[in-house]
Amino acid sequence: MSSRVCRTCGGSDIDVDQARGSAVCTNCGAVLEDNIIVSEVQFVEGSGGVSSAVGQFVSADGPVKAPLLGSGFHTGVGKESRAQTLQNGKRQIQQLGSQLQLNQHCLDTAFNFFKLVVSKHLTRGRRTEHVIAACLYLVCRTEGTPHMLLDLSDLLQVNVYILGRTFLLLARELCINAPAIDPCLYIPRFAHMLEFGGKNHEVSMTALRLLQRMKRDWMHTGRRPSGLCGAALLVAARMHKFRRSVKDVISVVKVCQTTLRKRLTEFEDTPTSQLTVDEFMKVDLEQECDPPSFTAGQHKVKMQQLEQELAKKLDEVEGEISCYTEEIETELEKSRPKLRGIYAAYTKEIDPEDEAVLSSTSDLEEKEGDDADLQAATQHLTQDFLSQVIQEEGQGKRTPDGVYNQEAAPEKEEVDERPQAIPLSSILGKLPSPASLGLQETFQTFHKSEPPENPDEEPAQTGELDLEGIDDQEIEKYILNDKEVEVKTELWIKQNADYLKEQKEKEERIKKEKEQGTYKEKKRRQRKREQIEAATAGEAIERMLEKKRISTKINYDVLRDLNQSSGSLSTPPSEPTEGAATRKRLSRRRRKTRDVNAELSANATMMTKKFRRLISSSPRKRKDAPQEEPAAAMETDSKAVPEAPPEDAPDAGPAPAEAPPLLDTEEEEEAEEECVSALQLVGDYGCEEEEVF
Amino acid sequence: MDSNNDEALDIIVTNVVATFRTRCHLNLRKIALEGTNVIYKPEVGKVLMKLRKPTITASIWSSGKIICTGATSEDEAKLGARRLARCLQKLGFKVRFSAFKVVNVLAVCSMPFAVHLVNFTNNNRPIASYEPELHPAATYRIKHLKATVQVFSTGSLTVTGPNVQNVATAVEHIYPLLYECQKPRK
Repeated sequence: MSSRVCRTCGGSDIDVDQARGSAVCTNCGAVLEDNIIVSEVQFVEGSGGVSSAVGQFVSADGPVKAPLLGSGFHTGVGKESRAQTLQNGKRQIQQLGSQLQLNQHCLDTAFNFFKLVVSKHLTRGRRTEHVIAACLYLVCRTEGTPHMLLDLSDLLQVNVYILGRTFLLLARELCINAPAIDPCLYIPRFAHMLEFGGKNHEVSMTALRLLQRMKRDWMHTGRRPSGLCGAALLVAARMHKFRRSVKDVISVVKVCQTTLRKRLTEFEDTPTSQLTVDEFMKVDLEQECDPPSFTAGQHKVKMQQLEQELAKKLDEVEGEISCYTEEIETELEKSRPKLRGIYAAYTKEIDPEDEAVLSSTSDLEEKEGDDADLQAATQHLTQDFLSQVIQEEGQGKRTPDGVYNQEAAPEKEEVDERPQAIPLSSILGKLPSPASLGLQETFQTFHKSEPPENPDEEPAQTGELDLEGIDDQEIEKYILNDKEVEVKTELWIKQNADYLKEQKEKEERIKKEKEQGTYKEKKRRQRKREQIEAATAGEAIERMLEKKRISTKINYDVLRDLNQSSGSLSTPPSEPTEGAATRKRLSRRRRKTRDVNAELSANATMMTKKFRRLISSSPRKRKDAPQEEPAAAMETDSKAVPEAPPEDAPDAGPAPAEAPPLLDTEEEEEAEEECVSALQLVGDYGCEEEEVF
Repeated sequence: MDSNNDEALDIIVTNVVATFRTRCHLNLRKIALEGTNVIYKPEVGKVLMKLRKPTITASIWSSGKIICTGATSEDEAKLGARRLARCLQKLGFKVRFSAFKVVNVLAVCSMPFAVHLVNFTNNNRPIASYEPELHPAATYRIKHLKATVQVFSTGSLTVTGPNVQNVATAVEHIYPLLYECQKPRK
C-alpha cells in the first residue's frame, strides 16, 4: 500500500496516516483511501490513570472451538473445568492483590503458585479464598513485602490461624522455603501509618536500631514481629519527642495493649534501657541477655527456693521467739508473788535450768530444722506448753520439769500422756504414716501391674475382657443404683428437652413422608444421574457424549467408530433410520473431529503434547497413523451414511481392532496423567501463553 | 543417651491417647442415665465418661468405638481402658475388648539451654518450620518416626508420636540439632 501510484496524478508519493486511517497523495492531494482498517493496539485509560491495552489474550492451547453450535448440542460449552478454575483463580488473585497493592510481578508469581497448587490437587476440600490468600502470602514472604497474614485475614474476614494452616501446608507441599519474617520489614509501613511527618526517616532508623538491639537481647524469638515493632516504634517516637500513645500504636500494629506493655517491660529489663537517648544512638552494648521467658522461668525457680529457705528460717525464728517468750514468762513469774510451801521449791528449780534448757531446746530445734513435720510438732508443743505453763502457774501444779531435761521425742511422748496434748498424737500419728502409706501404694501398684502384663496377648485375640487388676467394687461405684437413675433421668430429660423435641418432630416428619410416599432417605447430595434411555448401545454412547461435557482428551473418531462399527455389525437396515438421527450428531461430531484435526495439524506443540498423553508407549504410536486415517475416512463416511454398508466394512475392520486398544488408552490416559510432568500440565492448562516455568 | 552432657534429660509423658472397640452396639442413653461421671452429647452422638483412677476421659460412641485420653503411660491407658470396658459390661452390654491401640503419646522435655529458633529453622529446612505470627514454637516433623517436635525458644520441647519409644527416639534425634543452635550461655 505504501508504494502505490496515485490514480489522479500518477505520483507515487503517498502519505498514509495511520491515526486517521487515510492515504493521501502528497502530489495532488487526492484522497486514495479513507478509513483504513488498522491493526494497531489501542489504549484505554482505566481508573487511577492507568492505561491498559484494549483486547483480550487468547491462549493458543486453550479451547479453540467457536461457540456457535446451532441447536445447543454441546452443553457446558467452552472451557474445560481446569481452565475455568484457573481463570477464576486468576481473577480472584487480581482482586485481592490489588487491594493489597501488590505489583503485577507479584500477582503473576502468585498465579503461578496457584497453578502448581491446582495441578497437585491441593485445592480439594479447601475454599478457593483460603488457597488464594495462602498463595498471595507466599509471594509476600518470598518477595519480602511488608504484608502480614493478619492483613489478609482482615480482608477476607477469616481466622488467621485457618489461613496460617493452609499457608503452612502449601509451603510444605510446594517445597517453598519462605524466609523467616524480619520485624524490620514492617517498620517503614507502620511508621508511615503513624504519621511522623518530616522526621519519618529518623524515627524509622531509631526504631530499627531498637529492634536490632531487641534481637540481640533475645526478645524476638517466638514473638509476633508486629508486637516488637510496636514497642520499638513507641520508644522511638518518644525519643524524638512525638506523642504517640499506646492506643495509637495498637491500632496501627494490631496487637493488644497487654502485649505491648509486656514488651516494653521486657525491654526495660535489658541494660540498654538504662542508656540515655544519645548514648543509645552512639554506643552498642556488647552484652547479650537471655530471652525473657527463660529469665522468667529461672526467676520462678529462684523464688521457690527463696520461699523454702524463708519458711525454714521463719520456723527457726519462731522457735527462738517462743524461747524468748518463755524466758519472758519465767521472768514475769519471778516478779509475780511467789507461791508458798511445796510449790515454791518447784518454781525455783525452773530458773537455773531455764538457760541450760533454753539453749538445749534451741539446739534441738535447729537439728529438727530439717524435718518440717517435727517443726510443726515442736511449734505446737511450745504453744501447748505455754498454755500449760500459764494454767499450771495459776493452779500451782507441778511444772513439767522432766520435759526440759529430755530429748524431743521422749518429750513428746510425755506430753502425749497429758490430756491437753491429744492433738499431738494426731501429729505424731501422721509422721510415720505417709511413708508407710506410700510404700503400701507402691507395692499395690507393683502387684497390680505384674499380672496384667502376662495374659496380655490372649484377650486381644479372643476379645474377652481381661479382668485382672480391676477392682469390681470400685467399678460398682461408677454405676448408679435405681433411685439415682430415676433422678438422673428426670434431670436429663429436663436439660435436653429441646433436643428431644427436635428428635420427635423429625420422626413425625419422616412418618408423614413415608405415608405420602415422598420419603427421601438421608439426603445425600449426589449429582443427579438421569437414566439414559436408549435402544442400542450406540445410541446410549451418543446420548452420554451429549450429556457429558466434551473433553479434548477423548478421540471422538474412535468413539464414533465404535458406535458405527457396532451399528453396522448388528443391524444394517436399522442404520438408515438411525442414520438420519445419528447423521446430525455425526455431522457435529465430524465438525468436532475436524476441529480437532485442525488443531492437531495446526499446532505442532499441541500435537506432541496430545499424542504424548494419548500414547505414551511405543506400541501405541502405531495408532497415530491409523487414527488419522479413519478420522479422514470418517468424514467421507458420515456423508455417505445411507450408502454406508459397503464402506463401513473396511472400517469395521480397523475399527474394532483399534477400539479395544483405544479404550485402553482412554483408561490409561487417566493413569498416565499422573505420570505427566508438571511442566506439561502447567503448559497445557495455562490460560495464557505464559511459559514461566 | 545424650551425646554431650552427663545429665540425663527427663522426658515426661503427659498424655497417652488410645482407642479400642467393644464389638457391640452401645445404647448411649442408657450409659448416660445409669453411669456416674458421664456427660452425654447427643448432638455429636457420644458420651464422655471420666474415671478417677487412673485419671482417664473416654469418648464412647454408639458403634462401640471408644477413645481414651488422659493417661500418663501406655500401661495406664490399657488399665483404664479395661476398667471402662468392665464398667460397660456391668451396665449390661455384651462387651468384648478388642483392637486396643495406643494412637498418640504426648511428652514434654526441657533442654538445659535456650535455642535460637531462626538458626535452627534455617539449618533444617524444610523439615522444620517457624511462623512467629502463628505459633511461638518451631515445628520439626520427623517423617520416619512419624513424630512432631515443637521447639520453644526457652529450650522446652513438646513431642508427639505414636508410642513412647518413638518419642524417646525423636528426642535423641533432635538433641544434636538443637545443641548446634543453642544460645551461648553467659
